[in-house]
Amino acid sequence: MRQFTFAAAILALGLTVSQSYHLQLLTFIGIHTLLALGLNMLMGYAGQISLGHAAFYGLGAYGTGILTVHWGFSPWAGLPLTLALTFVVAFLVALPMLKLSGYYLGMGTLGFGMIAFVVFREWSSLTGGDSGLVGIPALDVGGVSLSSGKAGYFLVWACVLLAFFACERVVDSRVGRALRAIHDSERAAAAMGIDTSRLKVWVFVFSALLASLAGFLYAHLVTFISPNSFDFLVSVRIVTMVVIGGMASIWGSLLGAAVLTILPEWLHVFTDYEMVVYGLILMTIMIFLPQGLTRGILDIHERSKRKDTAASSAPRS
Amino acid sequence: MSDPSEKTPPPPVLLGVESVSRSFGGIQALWQVSLQVRPGTIHSVIGPNGAGKTTLFNVITGAYKPDSGRILYRGEEVQGRKVHELVRLGMARTFQNVELFGSMSVLENVLVGQHVRTRCGFLGAVGRWPWVKREEAEARRKGMELLEFVGLEEFASQRSEDLPFGWQRFLEIARALATAPRLLLLDEPASGLNAVETERLGDLLERIRKEGITLILVEHDMSLTMGISDAILVLHQGKKLAEGTPREIQSNDAVIAAYLGSER
Repeated sequence: MRQFTFAAAILALGLTVSQSYHLQLLTFIGIHTLLALGLNMLMGYAGQISLGHAAFYGLGAYGTGILTVHWGFSPWAGLPLTLALTFVVAFLVALPMLKLSGYYLGMGTLGFGMIAFVVFREWSSLTGGDSGLVGIPALDVGGVSLSSGKAGYFLVWACVLLAFFACERVVDSRVGRALRAIHDSERAAAAMGIDTSRLKVWVFVFSALLASLAGFLYAHLVTFISPNSFDFLVSVRIVTMVVIGGMASIWGSLLGAAVLTILPEWLHVFTDYEMVVYGLILMTIMIFLPQGLTRGILDIHERSKRKDTAASSAPRS
Repeated sequence: MSDPSEKTPPPPVLLGVESVSRSFGGIQALWQVSLQVRPGTIHSVIGPNGAGKTTLFNVITGAYKPDSGRILYRGEEVQGRKVHELVRLGMARTFQNVELFGSMSVLENVLVGQHVRTRCGFLGAVGRWPWVKREEAEARRKGMELLEFVGLEEFASQRSEDLPFGWQRFLEIARALATAPRLLLLDEPASGLNAVETERLGDLLERIRKEGITLILVEHDMSLTMGISDAILVLHQGKKLAEGTPREIQSNDAVIAAYLGSER
């Protein structure tokens, strides 16, 4: 039911918004939602941090970029190849990496992110180096371009809708429960017969695939990519989206991605002080709503409802 | 007692611990400990703090590897196997300081317990094919049954960490039962329980035994162990001090001197 409302909202927004700047903003919220959603599965549900998720975002973008620009593949053939590449890379990275936990896992994934960034920047014969990869073809279906304005918006949000649908089902299943069990107590999870190291590898791969899909969409929408879009700060931003939106909350990923995409745009009015205000807002949210926006808003809503019922049932003096 | 020609069901010995040793740094936590557990019985392991009871548990359930010695489960050597593999073979445990999945509901905890008896993966979860739905419905039904078995059915949808401590212990037992074990190891199940709850626990353990599940408990609570155990193993400083029926243990001089005597 919620999925229908969500789909209807996407449709309504897409049909009513006509200004290309707004459409572009909404499209980027969609791409960021995919990133946050993937990381939330890993971080919020399974409790494993990744500070290098931009690497997979970049892998998706550069994978399809190189395939289409240098080797003449069509984007639609690029998609499965890129996802397959991500699958292999994520799997190989996860095998040794997820033996680590806590801060050490953070450091490990951070290192991986750095390495990926260096590869994107320095392998210039393929990636174009610092000046970027230009001329990535737009997506099209039978000659109709899917990359401009409304079409791009609908394409991205269709992917978001599918990803939401998939994640909601995963969370509310045997696998999702096992992930949350690992988050709560890894020892007890193992004592329930959960192969914790294997499951952690799979959720890492799942999460990387979503990031890669986001990268694929990004590359074909913008048609130009450069290493700076996939550097360490981007990884941190994805983590921030998850934390601000709410860990272990699928809708929180949407909220976090929306806030972190829209805020910088609105804050342009502060010109020189933009980053200061931005930081202050994030700090304020974390201080007052440490569980993230979703949980925080729900709590406030529930509290006011309780106050209402208490007020109406209490005798007035 | 363990004649290898009689390995076929019912095995005369469900679990055989054969001169198992394990040390941590300079501390010999277990030294040449042996234990034979016949199916359908309740065994207790007692001893003062630091006697090696929990280490023995961790070695049996695969959390630690023994330095030497063998562990036979249904006639098969299992020392060094991973924890989750042993659960699949039918060995379940609870923890000394209850380790529930706190953020999950009471029912969900028991559903996680059924992890090894169900098989839906990522693809199944997204696809939600008919067999996945059937499996889920069946798991929920079984989960509710188990909650009824321990008397927690009306709290099924509550967050498990909101339960009072005593009930958390019962939930942990239900969760362990959900793995469909042959052998259930309980690490100090009575600690933190009041007298009424301890009695309910004793009653529950009897009912679990009637289901054909073999039990091993580590216990401090003497009244509980003496009342329900078929056999008791007394550990002292990592070594076996005595083994026998509750009656024999109560009148064993070494035990009285080393354990009961020194405490009272």
